[in-house]
Amino acid sequence: MAISKENAVENARKDLAQRLKIDTGDVKEKAVEDTDFPDMALGAPEEDEMSGQMITRGWRIKLEAQGQTFEYRADKNQVRAYKFKGKNYRI
Amino acid sequence: MNRNNIFIHLALALVLVLVAAFAGQLNKWRKQWKPAIFVPMEDKKKAKTAEDISLSETTRSLGAPEILVKFKSGVSQDAIDRLTAERNDRVEDRIENADGWEAIDDFDNADAATLVKEYQQLPEVEYAEPNYEINLDEAEAGPLEPILPRDPQFNDQWALANSGQRGGKKGADIRATLAWARTTGSGDVVVAVLDTGVDYNHEDLTENMWRRPEKMAPYHDNELGTIDDEFGFNAIDGSDPMDDNGHGTHCAGIIGAEGENEVGIAGVNWTVQIMPLKFMNASGSGSTKDAIEAINYVIDRKKAGVNVRIISASWGSTQKSRALGDVIRKAYENDILFVAAAGNSSVNNDRTPHYPSSYDSPNVVSVAALDRHDALASFSNWGVKSVAIAAPGVEILSTWLGNEYEEKSGTSMATPVVSGVAALILAEHPEMSVDDLKKKLLASTDPIAALKGKTVTAGRINAAKALE
Repeated sequence: MAISKENAVENARKDLAQRLKIDTGDVKEKAVEDTDFPDMALGAPEEDEMSGQMITRGWRIKLEAQGQTFEYRADKNQVRAYKFKGKNYRI
Repeated sequence: MNRNNIFIHLALALVLVLVAAFAGQLNKWRKQWKPAIFVPMEDKKKAKTAEDISLSETTRSLGAPEILVKFKSGVSQDAIDRLTAERNDRVEDRIENADGWEAIDDFDNADAATLVKEYQQLPEVEYAEPNYEINLDEAEAGPLEPILPRDPQFNDQWALANSGQRGGKKGADIRATLAWARTTGSGDVVVAVLDTGVDYNHEDLTENMWRRPEKMAPYHDNELGTIDDEFGFNAIDGSDPMDDNGHGTHCAGIIGAEGENEVGIAGVNWTVQIMPLKFMNASGSGSTKDAIEAINYVIDRKKAGVNVRIISASWGSTQKSRALGDVIRKAYENDILFVAAAGNSSVNNDRTPHYPSSYDSPNVVSVAALDRHDALASFSNWGVKSVAIAAPGVEILSTWLGNEYEEKSGTSMATPVVSGVAALILAEHPEMSVDDLKKKLLASTDPIAALKGKTVTAGRINAAKALE
């Protein structure tokens, strides 16, 4: 089932709260923008992950928590944490 | 001699001169005159008939050497004569200015492919290839007339025929319509699309899908067990290779959407066999391990007799895997070309390699993307040492899930254009080796100013040149 922009933001907030071990309410939405990613891993491949080299329309999600900004990337198929403590995660 | 005799001799000489001149003119007229024969579209599409092939074979048996063989240095002429005599063959000619090459004729009327195989297995032989025939009639026939398919969305396929639609640059295309005057592909050529699978029920693909031959045993994988690979191979779980993303179906359509069927679009090949391989999931990503499994599958099927000569790989990452590099080289050893996307990060692959396109295996052809203005796509990777060639890869219309058609961009889309051209070459030259196939591709480009210093060939693939 296709993921909507709202669902993607909500999933990202929940994931960040889990990683930081805080309440979801403490994660604020800073910005969400439509964008083109370079590939089907949204430019955020996990280790040992190959992806289709097709330009992919999606959303760049900026979240704020504990005074820091965190980036998530999403499209209709997936949500990914981008360089969270230096690593990418598909959630 | 009296005066009358002189006149008689002069008159005879004049008659002889006139007869000779007239005969010469007659011959000239004969050469110039060619009957205007109307060839219907259906006939142009037809693959070579048995009659055509037997005629060609007859011509060859009347004297043309059948194969060209290069013997290793140090192999004496006596040894070469002995090796050929043992096979009831003979050395027809030593090729001047080409050290070690011999033209070999066969007295048993064996076909060239069999002879090539036989000679390639000899330890004394470095290389063998068919003695390709050059048809003078074609060369004399003058410029080819473009062939336009009756597929309703063909006008949106700028990559195949750029008429300047949507503000593009007229002629910034791969000259597909001219290539189709020579061949529109062959159902004997199999192209493996290593991707998210393929929607093999798509209305514009279903006629060009590979099916495991009934007599061929199902594939056996040590980990997955015996797999019913009737429609191809799914390396993720051994199930059906049906596409659940769309990316693989899009790439398949570029290579071989059925042409002239009055439905949707035309592929670079109107006729071909697409072998679906699924190793990427519904999101469009997959693991190195599954990619390796799928390539091993292709090699296995090739060994079992499937004429799969090309793997089209519209994917990648910056992570290098020695195991993946090794299996691509294994594909090379099995005469399989590996066409790979250069990547979409707008970087120089000479400095930041992208895999699998940057593996140093002789069968790898790395492909950059061009837009409809002949400019390198803003997203495309490049590399004057590591990226071989460029092809259209922006706003490319092709097949999508559920009998749909969508425009997509990426080196993913440029890659199957090159794979498709490679398949056209093989349709014309089925015995061509992977080395020669790659050489032919790289020699078949139109120079593009924007690619100077960006790719090895600095050119856009030209399908018509590839078939010359």
